[in-house]
Order: sequence, then structure tokens, then C-alpha cells
Amino acid sequence: MEHDDDGVDEHDTPAEVDATFRTLRRVAITHVVLFLAALMGVPALSLTLGWWSDGRLAGGMSPGFAMAAFGLYAFFLVIGLAAATLSSAVEARMLGGRHDGEDDGYPEDGELR
Amino acid sequence: MRTGSALLAATIGGTWAVVYLVTQVLVSPPLGVGTTVAAGTVASVLLVLGYPSALRGPRAPRALRPLSRRRIVVGGHRMPLRSGLTADAARRTATLLRPLLGGDAVVITDRDLNLAFVGPGSDHHQAGGPVRAAAVRSAIGTGRTVVSRRASTMGCDAPGCPLRSAVVVPLVVGERVVGTIGVFRTHDEPAPRDQIEDMASILSLHLELAEADRERKLASDARLDALRAQINPHFLFNILNTIGSKSRTDPDEARQLLLRLSDFFRYAVRQEGQLAEFAQEYFFVRTYLSLEQARFGDRLRVRYDIDPQVLTAHVPVLTIQPLVENAVKHGLADKVEGGTVTLRARVDPLTRTTSIRVTDDGVGMTSDTLDALGGGEGADGARGGVGLRNISERLTALFGERFTLDIQSTAGEGTVVEVRVPLR
Amino acid sequence: MTVTSAGTLLALITLVALVTLVVRPRGASTVDFYLAGQRVGVATNALAICGDYFSAASFLGVAAAVYVSGLDGVWYAVGFAAGFVPVLLFVAAPLRRFGEFSIPDFLGRRLASERVRLVAVGVVQIVILSYLVPQAVGSGITWQLLVGHGLPGLSAYATGVVLSTAVVAALVAFGGMRGTTWTQAIQFLLLLGALVWLAAAVAGSGFHYSGAVAELSAEPLANPVNDEAGWHLRPENNHLDPAAPATFGQPGAAYGPLAQFALILTLVLGTAGLPHVMNRYFTSPTGTAARMTTVWVLGLAGLFYALAVMLGTAARQQIAAAVDDHPWLEELTVDGILRVPEHALPVLGRIYGGDSGLAVVAAGALVAVMSTIAGLLLAAAASWGHDVYERHINPRATQSQAVWAGRASTAVVAVTAGGLAIAMQPEEITPAVPSIVAAMVTWAFAIAGSALTPVFLLAIWWRGTTAAGATAGMVVGGLVSVSMFVVGALPVGPGIGEMLMTPTLVSAPLAALVTWLVSRATTAPDDVERQWLVLHGTAADRYAERLARLTIAGPGSAPGRPGRRRRRDADR
Repeated sequence: MEHDDDGVDEHDTPAEVDATFRTLRRVAITHVVLFLAALMGVPALSLTLGWWSDGRLAGGMSPGFAMAAFGLYAFFLVIGLAAATLSSAVEARMLGGRHDGEDDGYPEDGELR
Repeated sequence: MRTGSALLAATIGGTWAVVYLVTQVLVSPPLGVGTTVAAGTVASVLLVLGYPSALRGPRAPRALRPLSRRRIVVGGHRMPLRSGLTADAARRTATLLRPLLGGDAVVITDRDLNLAFVGPGSDHHQAGGPVRAAAVRSAIGTGRTVVSRRASTMGCDAPGCPLRSAVVVPLVVGERVVGTIGVFRTHDEPAPRDQIEDMASILSLHLELAEADRERKLASDARLDALRAQINPHFLFNILNTIGSKSRTDPDEARQLLLRLSDFFRYAVRQEGQLAEFAQEYFFVRTYLSLEQARFGDRLRVRYDIDPQVLTAHVPVLTIQPLVENAVKHGLADKVEGGTVTLRARVDPLTRTTSIRVTDDGVGMTSDTLDALGGGEGADGARGGVGLRNISERLTALFGERFTLDIQSTAGEGTVVEVRVPLR
Repeated sequence: MTVTSAGTLLALITLVALVTLVVRPRGASTVDFYLAGQRVGVATNALAICGDYFSAASFLGVAAAVYVSGLDGVWYAVGFAAGFVPVLLFVAAPLRRFGEFSIPDFLGRRLASERVRLVAVGVVQIVILSYLVPQAVGSGITWQLLVGHGLPGLSAYATGVVLSTAVVAALVAFGGMRGTTWTQAIQFLLLLGALVWLAAAVAGSGFHYSGAVAELSAEPLANPVNDEAGWHLRPENNHLDPAAPATFGQPGAAYGPLAQFALILTLVLGTAGLPHVMNRYFTSPTGTAARMTTVWVLGLAGLFYALAVMLGTAARQQIAAAVDDHPWLEELTVDGILRVPEHALPVLGRIYGGDSGLAVVAAGALVAVMSTIAGLLLAAAASWGHDVYERHINPRATQSQAVWAGRASTAVVAVTAGGLAIAMQPEEITPAVPSIVAAMVTWAFAIAGSALTPVFLLAIWWRGTTAAGATAGMVVGGLVSVSMFVVGALPVGPGIGEMLMTPTLVSAPLAALVTWLVSRATTAPDDVERQWLVLHGTAADRYAERLARLTIAGPGSAPGRPGRRRRRDADR
């Protein structure tokens, strides 16, 4: 089995990093806009939409209260997870593509036995 | 997870179902129809827009982008200047770049000589001759871009010289100007300055990397020598012995050990600088101990007490594994029932120190041996190898007085070696 | 306080101490969890970050805010939880990859300027102090409720303050309490455990969340005030709709329209600038792991705050109903409503669990406070000792001098925070804000979000940031936010007061603008390109992952075994 010497020497070229950086910046800004829209939207809806505060969800809470009390946290988790997996996927694709298909025989993700 | 329009359709259907449920069924009074439809539409639009990037990731970038105004990508070609600013590299670079820089002729110089000239006028602008063009000398002297429309500043004394305008950008490594790249044109309007400055900064980066490569090679040569001189030949001998004997009875494991050994040396010789992340030292220690455990079997027990915070701290390279090696060789090797080696590592954020402690419950040392320990002599393995004095000297060189190296030992009970270095 | 609750409290604290000291990973395999992104390591680091982040404000203050203001108090919970989303999107991975140890280190090296570093140290110390004072206040209030009387010469409140700051300062300076990952993680688990227990007890006794909200919103929201007429209930003004009364489930009980947004935005921007939390990001093995750690933190924070909001609601409903059965509630309440809202959770614990219940909740609160105080003191003292003392005052310091500098700064910071907490009589400020502890922590978030976050974001995502720009931005952001809430603390009138208390809406964009303008006019540092390779490239990450795989693979793994294909190959 041959060991590629360059395998020890990981480096990225400036052009690759620049392209990745621009993509990730775009991803981050998109997600933050979505995040802020939802976050600011909950109090904003209470100012504009009567149903948001007056409707009664399952016997008691208004939709506004339900969102603030647990809906938003679920949303944060989802958007965080989406952004994190997308960013990691972008980085994996756009950087370090030199070693396609190399299988150095060691278990991926370091599974313990 | 299957991609495809079926999934998208299902998600959109599900979203509408949820919207309907939440606004019409679960809530009383239900939301007005108009607002519900608006909310559902917004959600669906967002889903459709976000779907490709969410499930697939962005499309891979094309390898070579067409020339844009602000950025130049010479993707795919290995920049010749990575090997340094030589005439040959300069000529290849100039030839490579000439079509990209929007000019007719390209010159690359170092501080004193024209290294390469490619394009019309190359008959009298000689590569190898001294730098005469005032524009180039000015760029070298001031470290700034020079744009010129006068033929006289371009060093053209030959009457038939077709070149009319020049843009000369210095190549800078750190704070020094090491050369220039100049783009000439046969008409009066000079080449676009931004592109050339971008290219010059990329070239400067390559030159800087070339210098770093050179220094690293020098340092690693020295380190290789040091390593070679100091690696305990007995370690190598014993491991190869074990490998040899296992190769009959258990060839798979023998192959494993060989691979581990080669990994160890591959990473050991590729050091950059004097400090390495603790995770790397930990790798050395693990590798070393798994090799030794193949030999000692149950007689060598190991315990780790490592705070995760320490894994990213930088410690002097090849300081921990030798300490562990000492513990195994001199503490436990002579003890019949074997013993335990403990490696403890902590970070102290209050005083900004990293502390590493290697403990063994082996035979210990008498006070005489303790004193003689600083010697680090002997290639035959008697308290030799990577001597503690070597480690101490390196620590002094790196940290002055801001480190401690403590050795405590009781004959018959064990030894404790503790190193404390500033947190880097 | 009775013997039972004192005993339970002591037992719990001892248990925590024992567990953190004795239970420690021993084998190689457990350390391996932390190498390059193994899931257990990421989760544990997330627990440690939560241990630093969740303080008295989160535990007592959020429930108190909900108790007093209903939906307007829930914005605290939302804001605290939301803060980690910008961290994940913009800060987590590049910060880790750059590899420094603290925010001033990062900014100083990124912008190649010692002045930036010093200004950042100044801002960081102010943030730390403003985060410390409410912790001391929170422990004073808890001690007041738990014990009721103090050491001779001191009030109960002052005793609580002094004991918590002194004990923790001593542990940090001399006791080797260094906030290791383990201890912080376990302390957070205890905190979460206390909260979950309380929530389970409340839910198990027939508490219906939706119904409670509806019931509480059926009548106007009224809270105790102490004026010339003595203690009595006064209905809250509805800042959104002055004609209607304020109710529990509707917004407007505490904040006007603009102030609602201002509060949330303050909290969201501030998290990225909290020094003791950000310092933990440097211990993730790779940038990608730092990102995934933040995802875990988001999940844990969401769970925590959802429970806290529910408990605040339960407190409002159940305590009012329980006054008849529990005579000790008489002196704490006015017509069934607590005078000091921070008592909500401990009282709830006592109602549902007797004295042991009180002890459990008190233990959770005290542990939260102490672990946060420890983290803050460490961050502050390390900064004074390293950034200021070793680099400027005494560059030739020996090891022991550095140790003493660290200890001295711990003591000074602790004394300052304690003194400020005692000087600041909580009863004076209580009527103006829903929860004194949560409000004070908001100041820390405001300064961090105005002075540090904009500069941080620009330094990581824009090549053109310069040292002069960053200095100007930090100074402007800090000065504007501090002056705005000094003005807001003066009696200026209802709507304006809250607005000024959460100045980030104005000061953060201002700081960003100033940074941008000044950076345009000055030159960027020379090695920006190389820094970009480190900040946004993953070469070091890949190396670390590769090294981790090699380290973990034991001698028994065969090279020919087909491993799973790398994730970047599989286009699934």
C-alpha cells in the first residue's frame, strides 16, 4: 500500500479559500436574514396581526405565546443544524479535493472497536 | 435520504398541511383565509428556493474561471515561483502570465537584474542584464506601483522599441521588496493596474511560501540529524525484532506494527517549527506505547488523564514521547511484574501554562542517578537516548526562565517527571 | 431554613464536588472522544459551554421575568437562546481555526496591532464586570431566601454576595479550580437536572400549560409595589395599547413597540462578544467541530429556556393558589404575588418538594452562579495577568510572578464585583425592570454586542478591516452603549427608559459604520491573504482529522478493511 507523501502536507490554495469564503459568507448571510426575519417576525406579528395574540391554541395559549415559549427554540435548532451541515458540506467539497477516493484503510470517523 | 422532486413535493404538501392545521384546526378563532394562504405561499416559496442548497450543497465550482476584472485565477497550473525567484522560474512565470495581464510584454526582475522578459522588445531588453529602467528602479525603491507613459523611463535606448506604456508593481515578501513584475504595452494606454497588482500579490505570496519552504527544509534537516542521532537504536531494534518474530505466527499484526512504525516516522520527520499541537504529541505517545505494548504485553499498563482543553495547546515538539519512553525503559523494563505509566496533561488558564506529568511506578532512581541524569550521554541506551538535558536545553532556548522541569523519584517506588511551559 | 433543606443542600454540593473530582476519564479511549470531532467530545464541550453561559440570569432571572411580565419576559429567554445562531453562522469556525486563546488575542493578531489588543482587553474587562455583578446579586437574593439571615453585621443579601464571590475567588486563585471541561459539563448537568426535576414535579401535579396561560391572561396583570400605601398590587401599564389592560399572555406589559425589538436584538448580538463563552471555542479540535458544538448548544439552550418559561408561568399560577396552604408564603407575597420575582423558582421548589425541593433548586442556582463566576474570574484574571502584566508591565516576569499576578487580579475583580453588588440595592431598581438579574445581564450583552460583535464580524468576514478601524469601532460602540444606558437609568420616562437600557439597536450599527469608514481610510495589515487561508481554509482541520483517525485506530485494525467512503465522495 503506498502512502502519498503529499498526504501529510495539507494545504489550500488562496483561490480555493477565497471561493469557499465567498460561498460561506453568502450562506451565512442568507441564514441570518431568515433567522432575523423569524425572530423579529414574532413580536412584529403581535403588533400587526390580531389573530396572533387573540387566537387560542389547544385551549389556552395564543400562537404568539406558543412560538415564543417553544416554537422559536425549535426553529433555532433547525436553522443552526441546516447552516452547519451546509457549511461543512461546502467546505468538504470546495477544499482539499486532492485526495479523491483515497482510502488509507483507517476507519472513517475513527470508529472504536 | 433520497433527493428528487418527490421529496420536495412531499415537503411542500406537508407544509401546507401543517399551516392548515395550525391556523384553522387547532386555533380558535381560525385565521382568515387570505392570511393563511399568504403564509402558506411564503413558506412554500422559501422551501423551493432553499431546497437545492439544503439537500445537495452548492454545485462544485468550475476549475478555471474566465478572466474577470478584479480577480485572476491561474487555476490548475503550479506556480513556478514556488521554488523561488530564479531566472528559470521567472521566465516560465512570465510566459504563463503574459496572456492574462492585458499587456504585450511582461518583465520580472529581482532587485538588481532583469530575470525574464517575454514579448515584443525582448531583443533589446535583455534578460540577465542589470535593471536600467527608471520605472522599475523607482518601484523597487519606493515599494509602490509605478505607471509610466514615457518611453524614456522604460529603459528603452533602442530606437525601434515598440513599447509605449508600462505598469510596474513591486513583489514584496514581508516588508522587503524582492523584485518587480512589469507589464508593457505598445500603445499609450497602460494596462489595467488592478489586475497586475492582484497578480503581484499572489506572486509575492508564492515567494513568501518559497522562503518558508527553504527555511523549513533547513530546520528539518537539522532536526532530522538530531533525531537520527538521538533515537534510541534499541527502540528500533526491539520493535523490528518483535515484528520479525510475529511475522511468522501472526503476519497481520506484524504488518500492523510495521505500518504504525512507518506512520510514526513519517510524522516525526515532518515537523514545522519548534512547537506542535498537543494532539500531535499525543499521537506520538499513543503510537509509541502501542508499539511497546506489543512487546511487553500485559506488563505495560497505561493511563491517560488528559483534559480536552489541552489538546489544542502547543507544546515543544518531541518532548513528551521521550519522557514516556524514559519511563518505560528505565522505570518499567526492569521490573518483573511490569507497571503503569500515567500521562497527565492540564491547562491552567489563570497562569497561562500547560502542565504535563509522566508518572511511573517502576524501579525509580537513586539520587546519584538523578544527578547524572542531566548527562544524556551514551548511544548504548544507558540513560541516553533523547536525554533530559536535551529537552531542558530546548525548553531554555524557547522559553528562557518561564518553564519548569521537575523530576522526583524514590528508589523502588517510581518516578514523576513534570513539565510546565507557557500556554501557546 | 430548616435542617432538612440545609442537609439536602450540603449533600448535593458535596455530591457535585465528589463527582467532579473523582469521576474522570482514565483510558485512552475516552480522551479519543475529543479528537477531531467525535460526537461525544463535541457534546461534552457543548455542555461545558453551557455551564459557562447559563448563569443566575438564565436560571432564576428568566423565570422571574416571565413571572412578572408574562410574554414580555419571555423575550429574555428567546434572546438568550437566539444569541448562538449568529455565533454559529459567523464566528465559531473561523475563531477556532485562527487558534488564539481569547478575544483580545484574536483581534490583536488578526489586525497586527497591540493597541487593538489593549482596547479589546478594556472592553472585555467591562463586559466581564457587568456580567459578574448580577451573578453576585443573584446569589445574594438566593441566600436571602434560603437562609434568611446573614453574618453578624451584614444583611442576608450582603452575606450571600460576599460568600459567593469570596468562596469562588478563593477556589479559583488557590484551589486549582480551573474550569476544566469536565467540571463545567457536570455542573451544567446538575443545573439542567434541577430544572427538569422541577418541571416534572409541576407537570405531574396536574399543571396544564395552555390552560394556565389562558387563565392568567383572563385578568389584568398586576405586580406588588411598595410605596406610601405600603405593599399593594398595581396593574401594569400596557405599553402597546394604553387603552387596554396588560395581560400575561399578551405582549406589552413591560416594553413598548420599539423596545421589544431592541431587547431581543441586544441579546442576540451580545452572545458573540462574551469572553468567557468564546474562550471555550478555542478548545474544539477543528473548526467544523466548533460549529457542531454550537448546534448542540442551541439544542440544550432551547430545552433549558423552554422549561424555564414554563416554570415561570407555573409559578405565577401555582404560587397564588398555594398561599392558603403554605403560611410561610405570607411574608413573601402580596395577595399571592411574590414581591421579589427571583424567588419564583425556589418557592416553587419548596411547594412541590418541601425543604428538599428548595434545596435542590437552591443548589442548582448556586452551582450555576458559582460556575459562571469562576469562568468569568478566570477570563478576567487571565487577561489582566497575561495581556497587561506580562506583555506590558513586566515582560521578564518569572513563573511565580505570573501566578501571583493572576491571583491578585482574581481577588481585585471579585472584590469589585461584590462591592458593586452590595452597593446596588436591588429593591431600588426592581420596579423599573421585570427582573433585576436579567436586566443587569442585558447590560453586559449590550456592551459586548455593541463594542465587540460588530468588530469581530467585520474582522472575520471582510479583508479590509484595519487596526485603526477596529479601535475606533470598539471605542464608539462601548461609549455609545454605556452612555445610553446611563442616561436610561435616570428617570426619563417610561418608554424611553427601556429603549435606552437596550441600546444595541443604535450603538451596534454605529460601531459597524465607524469601523467600516475608518478602515476604508487606512491600510489593511500585510498578511491578510495568509490569515484568510487560516481563517477560512480547512487545511489544519483536515490534518487534525487525519491525525485523529491515525491515533484512534488501534493496532488491531487491518488496512485492507474497507472503511466507509469519505463523505465528500458520496453524492447522496
